[in-house]
Amino acid sequence: MIETKHIDFYYGAFHALKDVSIRIEPHTVTAFIGPSGCGKSTFLRLFNRMNDLIDGVRLTGECIVDGVNIYNKSVQVDDLRKKVGMVFQKPNPFPKSIFENVAYGLRVNDVQNKAFITQRVEESLKSAALWEEVKDKLKKSAFELSGGQQQRLCIARALAVSPSILLMDEPASALDPISTSKIEELIHVLKQEYTIVIVTHNMQQAARVSDRTGFFMLGELVEYSDTKKMFLNPEKVETQNYITGRFG
Amino acid sequence: MKHTEKELQALKDAVSQMWMLVMSQLEKSEQAFINNDMELAREVVSREKRVDAFELKIDSDCENYIALYAPVAIDLRLVLSLIKISITLERIGDFAEGIARHVIDADCATIEPEIMKELRCEDMFAILRSMLSDSFTAFYSEDTVLSGRILSKDDEIDHIYRRSIDVLAEYLADHTSLIRCGLKTMLLIRKLERIGDHCSNIVEEIVFYVDAKVLKHQG
Ligand SMILES: Nc1ncnc2c1ncn2[C@@H]1O[C@H](COP(=O)(O)OP(=O)(O)OP(=O)(O)O)[C@@H](O)[C@H]1O
Ligand SMILES: [Mg+2]
Repeated sequence: MIETKHIDFYYGAFHALKDVSIRIEPHTVTAFIGPSGCGKSTFLRLFNRMNDLIDGVRLTGECIVDGVNIYNKSVQVDDLRKKVGMVFQKPNPFPKSIFENVAYGLRVNDVQNKAFITQRVEESLKSAALWEEVKDKLKKSAFELSGGQQQRLCIARALAVSPSILLMDEPASALDPISTSKIEELIHVLKQEYTIVIVTHNMQQAARVSDRTGFFMLGELVEYSDTKKMFLNPEKVETQNYITGRFG
Repeated sequence: MKHTEKELQALKDAVSQMWMLVMSQLEKSEQAFINNDMELAREVVSREKRVDAFELKIDSDCENYIALYAPVAIDLRLVLSLIKISITLERIGDFAEGIARHVIDADCATIEPEIMKELRCEDMFAILRSMLSDSFTAFYSEDTVLSGRILSKDDEIDHIYRRSIDVLAEYLADHTSLIRCGLKTMLLIRKLERIGDHCSNIVEEIVFYVDAKVLKHQG
């Protein structure tokens, strides 16, 4: 389970997240929507401490993953990132073979057992619905895959280290409808085993894949509720204006 | 106004026009009934096709809107309610035609005016007329304060309807030569009662659209 309590986040003097409190249940898909620059990605990156890499940031409040405040001094960021995987908007395979891309997380974690690595790579590619398309060319460069295949490869890479939480920042925004629907199907299947948090600009995608939806505006979580309710009868007029396209 | 809003407005306007037509059909069938005006009754029958055409057009326009614009929230509720309202208006139009045909069939030339008064058909007509126009006001102004009043008028319709069964049964027991007329009159009253139900359904749709509340099947 993920829980944040009164999160405030600053890039220098810029107040990017304002008093955000949220609970995300295990084995659910949660979508974050909102206008560009409202803080969705910033919020998502908090869950695996990706924002730590940026200079001059400041955080107050608590971010609790499986009962532990992940910003406690005792938390090892590497361990956290094994538990909380991330997939980005643009597929970013490494300049390695398909096999090595998926095996990467295991190797940096010092896994030596070859048979185990081979097994995990196959399992992960299967979970990412890519196995059938690549099983005969695992040694080929990842760059030889199409954009949609590369994105599923990145999902496989994230899955290989057996995370429990998968963060996805606009994972299908650069993909065609067929690849998009493969990713969406995948999200649907993966939620049996993982807790998934997805940022998307595609309202219909949020409606299709998520159980809960959070609407952000200017760094605030304006509304957070069941996706069905959000898209039939949102509570706040700001949400309604945004999802019906009357914003601005 | 954005073009998607204009499209929605056009859908709403079509339903408003259909509403006007159905109100006029109901009023004309009322006048034809009260004045036994065959001419007017025939006009109602011939204009029924226009009501049907409205329903078909609104149905396909709403389908297209959903397919093209994937509306959500209040827009989705509006389109869903427009589809249901136009189907319901079409049924009310059918009943108005049925009333006109009742006049044309002229099976009730010899029934006594007193008994017709006791059956309160004219009261039913007047109540239905106000239900249909009040619900139009509620729809047009997106205001549901009238909804309670409209729904309670339907209770009055139901009351008159139940009482008319007793009145007719008693009357026909002594006037067996008028059985055919009595049965036709009962069918007429049944139509009026059904129009009341349909007006209530329309009000429920308006409440769903405006307030996102579901009133259906609660009473
Ligand atoms: N590294 C950074 N340094 C300074 N400001 C940043 C940085 N990253 C983001 N911001 C600012 O924080 C705000 C939130 O950014 P964020 O990337 O979280 O938005 P977003 O909701 O993901 O937008 P988009 O939908 O365009 O991806 C923006 O105003 C942005 O300019
Ligand atoms: Mg972003």
